[in-house]
Amino acid sequence: MNPGDEELVASARKGDRRAFEELVERHQRRAYHIAFDFARDREEAKDLSQEAFLKAFTHLKNFDGRSSFYTWFYRILVNLCLDYKRRQKRGPASAFDETVESQMEPSHEPVKPRSPDQQVWARQISHRVGEALEALPARQRTAFVLKNHQGLSIKEIAALMDTAEGTVKVHLHRAVVTLRERLAEFA
Amino acid sequence: MTEQTRTLVSPCGELEENLVLFHYGDLDGAERGMLQTHLQSCTACAGYLKELDTLLPLTLKADEPPATFWTDYNRELRQKLDRAAEKKSWRQTLGDLFQPRWMPALATAGVVALALTFTVGRGIWPANDSQDDAAIMELLPVAENLEFFKAMDVLDNLDLLESMGNQSNAA
Repeated sequence: MNPGDEELVASARKGDRRAFEELVERHQRRAYHIAFDFARDREEAKDLSQEAFLKAFTHLKNFDGRSSFYTWFYRILVNLCLDYKRRQKRGPASAFDETVESQMEPSHEPVKPRSPDQQVWARQISHRVGEALEALPARQRTAFVLKNHQGLSIKEIAALMDTAEGTVKVHLHRAVVTLRERLAEFA
Repeated sequence: MTEQTRTLVSPCGELEENLVLFHYGDLDGAERGMLQTHLQSCTACAGYLKELDTLLPLTLKADEPPATFWTDYNRELRQKLDRAAEKKSWRQTLGDLFQPRWMPALATAGVVALALTFTVGRGIWPANDSQDDAAIMELLPVAENLEFFKAMDVLDNLDLLESMGNQSNAA
């Protein structure tokens, strides 16, 4: 039977590097996808998720086990992503990157050859979705991304965002209202 | 891109937040039951829910990088972890040296070293007092000369004033 996260953490704290690498393998895809939801850029998402693993590695001794490794680690990641968005806001304003959007496809669409019209339509949707998400305030976006994209429960999101469940519900609701208005033409 | 305006469905205001939670399956117990009953009779709320079912999946993205990306990802991360482990071991060594249990011993050693410096060391090291005195004595004549030169300056100024007075008298 595979050891649980907590067992791996205990081994990693004793210096077992392989145990930490096992934790990385378990969480790297989800970590990358969360980072990608914030950055919408592969390289940035890679850097952000790797930085989260590095932070977890160097601060593993401070992990007191009061919360699960999962909550502790993803809280590190979400904070890094929020910092990244803050830095991005302070920096020179950049236009929404269509080349990045063109890498992505709305997940409901089947992966099969499409007509040029369909491709244009998909690109338009992707672009508008990107813009709409980008315009959301950071905490609304966090709650939305963790719920809508990652399927976490309200309780889990509250733990990751270090806030009350009621606050998460409000953020999520506001995010959905804004997105619905901005994407009305696709309804 | 052509902008299309479309009228959105307006749900019952006080239920909107619960409708969002219902969409995500996060509404539990009594509230869920009440909303389900309400949905049977309210076309606006039912329409709103339908809109969410259509719109929200559009925001999902399927960005799945190729296998090579993950190979690079793991290689890079391993290198970063190696560097972090190296730094960590240095910090650990220093940390071990300055661990709380060693602090009283280090402090005592420091005090003893200082005490030895001021007691035993005083007899060993030559005193510099006599050298300092000699240096001051050497400087004294120079200081006296300075007073002499200052006096000479005053005399020069007196001569100058005198010559200026003579010139004005002659005029």
